[in-house]
Amino acid sequence: MSSADSTEIVKTDDSSLTSDLDKSLSDSISKKFSNVEIAYVKPDRIRVNVKKEEIIAVASFIRDELHFDHAESVGGVDYPEDKQIEVVYHLGSYTDPSLSKHILALATRAPREDVPRPGNDSTILPSLRDIFPSVSFHERECFEMLGVYFDGHPDNRRLLLPEDWADIPPLRKDFRIKGR
Amino acid sequence: MSSHVYPKEKEIFPGLQLEKVDDRIMTLNVGPQHPGSGHMRIILKVDGDYIVHCDPDPGYVHRGEEKMAEYRNYITNIPHLERPVIHDSCNILYPYCLGVEELLGLEVPERAKYLRVIAAELNRCVYTQYWLAIYGIFLGHSTMFMWPMGDRELVIDLLDKMTGARVTHAYFVPGGVRNDLPPNFEDVCLRQVNYFEKRLKEYADIFYDNPILISRTKDTGILSREDAIKLGTTGSVLRASGVDFDIRKKEPYDVYEELDFQTNVLKEGDSYARSKIPWLDMFESCRIIRDALKKMPKSGSVRVKLKPNPKGGDTEVYRRVESGRGSLGMHIISRGKPQPYRLKISVGSFRNLIAMPHLLTGEMLGNMPAVYWSLNYWPVEADR
Amino acid sequence: MSVIAPKFRLGYLIKGITDNIFWIIVLMTLIGIPVVQIVLIYIDFPVIDGEIWNPFRVFDAMTHPERALPLVKNFMQTDLFKIVAFPGFGFAALIAAAVIFVERKMLAKLQLRVGPFYCGKVEGILQLMGDGLKLISKEIIIPAKADKPIFWAVPVLFAATAGAFVALIPVAPGWVVADIDLGLLAVFAVIGFFPIITVLAGWSSNSKFPFIGGIRALYQMVSFEIPLILSLLGIVMLTGTLNLSEIVESQVNFPWIIFMPIGAIVFFICILAELERIPFDLPEAESEIVAGWLTELSGMMYGLVQLGSYLKLYAFAGLFVVLFLGGWNGPWVFPIEPIAEVITDGIVIMPDALVIKDIPGLPLFAGEMINGTIWFVLKTAAVIFFILLPRGVFPRVRIDLLLKIGWYKLIVLAFVNIFIALALVYSGIIGPGGIM
Repeated sequence: MSSADSTEIVKTDDSSLTSDLDKSLSDSISKKFSNVEIAYVKPDRIRVNVKKEEIIAVASFIRDELHFDHAESVGGVDYPEDKQIEVVYHLGSYTDPSLSKHILALATRAPREDVPRPGNDSTILPSLRDIFPSVSFHERECFEMLGVYFDGHPDNRRLLLPEDWADIPPLRKDFRIKGR
Repeated sequence: MSSHVYPKEKEIFPGLQLEKVDDRIMTLNVGPQHPGSGHMRIILKVDGDYIVHCDPDPGYVHRGEEKMAEYRNYITNIPHLERPVIHDSCNILYPYCLGVEELLGLEVPERAKYLRVIAAELNRCVYTQYWLAIYGIFLGHSTMFMWPMGDRELVIDLLDKMTGARVTHAYFVPGGVRNDLPPNFEDVCLRQVNYFEKRLKEYADIFYDNPILISRTKDTGILSREDAIKLGTTGSVLRASGVDFDIRKKEPYDVYEELDFQTNVLKEGDSYARSKIPWLDMFESCRIIRDALKKMPKSGSVRVKLKPNPKGGDTEVYRRVESGRGSLGMHIISRGKPQPYRLKISVGSFRNLIAMPHLLTGEMLGNMPAVYWSLNYWPVEADR
Repeated sequence: MSVIAPKFRLGYLIKGITDNIFWIIVLMTLIGIPVVQIVLIYIDFPVIDGEIWNPFRVFDAMTHPERALPLVKNFMQTDLFKIVAFPGFGFAALIAAAVIFVERKMLAKLQLRVGPFYCGKVEGILQLMGDGLKLISKEIIIPAKADKPIFWAVPVLFAATAGAFVALIPVAPGWVVADIDLGLLAVFAVIGFFPIITVLAGWSSNSKFPFIGGIRALYQMVSFEIPLILSLLGIVMLTGTLNLSEIVESQVNFPWIIFMPIGAIVFFICILAELERIPFDLPEAESEIVAGWLTELSGMMYGLVQLGSYLKLYAFAGLFVVLFLGGWNGPWVFPIEPIAEVITDGIVIMPDALVIKDIPGLPLFAGEMINGTIWFVLKTAAVIFFILLPRGVFPRVRIDLLLKIGWYKLIVLAFVNIFIALALVYSGIIGPGGIM
């Protein structure tokens, strides 16, 4: 087969494949929280964008009512043009067999400063560690890689980077790799 | 978390005081230059022979794979992405290829799907043998170091025939696999896998049924089912704690739902169960390989042609597979460029690392290697 | 730029050799000959046949077997020979070297590999020599904050204590360095030094891992010394002596292992623990505490400790043979007849041309001695094989399990063994009126 047209923009929402469960999950979130934006509902994948003030409440709701019990990954994305840094929690469920295929991406954004001082500037997000203990090391990594300070995390230390790292957080877009 | 209780400071006689708690504590740097650590450091605080505090310090082999991926095209990302775990390189490329295929809308040929499964399962055996060898030498069992290392060559030989490289295969590409099988591969593969399975059974005699091993690893480092779920552990650690979760079963990718295998689950949650699950999984891998060889289409294309520098849409995908160390997920954000805007690799090793302080605190120092390496933790992969 | 001999010329080589020869001649004449002369003034020469022997007569006698053989035989009865060569250090070191080679090859075969292979053409037989050369040529690094005198003394002490232990083991009738009446007590006394040395090593290196290793060695050895001593009490009761040679002589008819298998098993397990062999190698547990109390030792200091530990291995195996397996006792395998012919007829080198006859003192060794040594070495090799075998089969035990084995199980078993010995004595099976 030919894939000549494969580089076109792909449809983000294929409603024919999404199951009723996906729909009901997203509906229950949007019903409960009016400010929450459901970014997309793909087969087994839901993405929810929330404000950072609301993330604790939404996460507690997801854990207690929707039975997502652990974080698969916590990734930070830098958006310099929006002056924001996004943190995406991919949540999964071990306890609920019907949800075992599903990944719920919970995204929130923090303001970004051009001259980062990790821990001492406005790039602060509430930590989800009390709700999902599995995010603790992921949030530490996110702190050192993007400079997002997690308020309420007891252990905001470096994890992977060397102790004498004196540059800006390396996963920000204005940190350029030499020669690239 | 800790089951260990500090002795209370109290006066026995007036003026005569017990030593303070801080006087009893000794800090041990296990690693990075320590035969029992791997490429990482564990900062232990021991009180006598008991560990009262554990602080894992990874990052000695951090290579910035995620940053590198942002500068390279979807195809040129392949060789460097398998570097974090070269023994399991097919499995670490698997979610990347699945994700890129979803981004680009590629349909993988049927034969390529089977080839991927075979390569991934062989690679899982290679990784697990390596892991098992180190588990053996961590417990002071030198024969268990040599046997898996030797038998691993059988599988490496197969992968060498299949992909042309002994460890870093770069076999998976978005849209299929790089090349087809050499002639006669099926017979050789069946023969070697059968012999490999026979050898695996002998490990029980020398290692898993060994009374000293059982007395050392049983009931040490118990991770309860609730804690395993709460801490978000994955792979063998999770399944040893009684949670039946294998992505190959729960979210089958490629042709795993057509193949005949089962998930191994143990209830105990101790080091022994955690060390046994990967070994049991290798039998399932052999089963999968035999089944896949049988069901595989005998001919057909193995990859779809890609345009040079394919661009993804303005979207994102999150795909995960079951690697040798558990769930391996990749979150690829595309913004219409030939390079990914952001590639987040979520690896099982890193997720199991969270359980390490939880398990080691309160254990004896002699249990440290048995518990640490049973977490199926690969330091290089965790650092990425 | 690492090029071997960048400017090699044959002329340079010849020049270097002639230079060396020149310096050797100069130093010999200036230093060597005066030293020899001074030494000769102060040495007492033996009086043989009523005349004092001088060096020239010694050299003369060496060329003449009739005179050399009595000299050699005389020398073999001296303490120096016993300590340095035969039942003492040289013999033990030879067995230790063989043990190391056999251990490596055997373990390799067990683990489906080849082991030492290249060094010495034949199955890597010279590997140990290569390792020794490497250890000697390595730099000795002393930790900056180490307690230097003690740290230097530790390897020497360890090897010397192991040598002292070797000196107590009787190899053949009459062939023992130190034949003392309280031989078994002396053994216990010597064994008691090892934990002190290991603790000193751990403490003086001023490092954490050696310290933990030293402490582990201390409580491992101390807790296993008690069952070790108790397990031998039965033999002392039955033989009524502490002299090791007499204990061997008491086993002419049967070895004690027949009556006291429990004691032998307890003693064997205690040997493994005292020797820090797998599965009891906790003081050197690599994955936990690097190399235990050996961590900071480097170069030949480490080599000396290794030498000491293999001497100790030989000595313990020999002790097991002496106490339980009947020492040098065994069927006569040494062919005595040809030797008798040689004594009466002489050695015929060429028919009718040269017959060396009536050489005084020709049987250098008595037949019993050679036969006993053969049996002793065979039995020791068997015991050493069983000491080495667990290394390929078992993982390491944990320290609490180890102490539990020592204190709960082995001591109880040792007492059971003592009661068996008492029952044998009081029921009259062994002793006056019994089979002995």
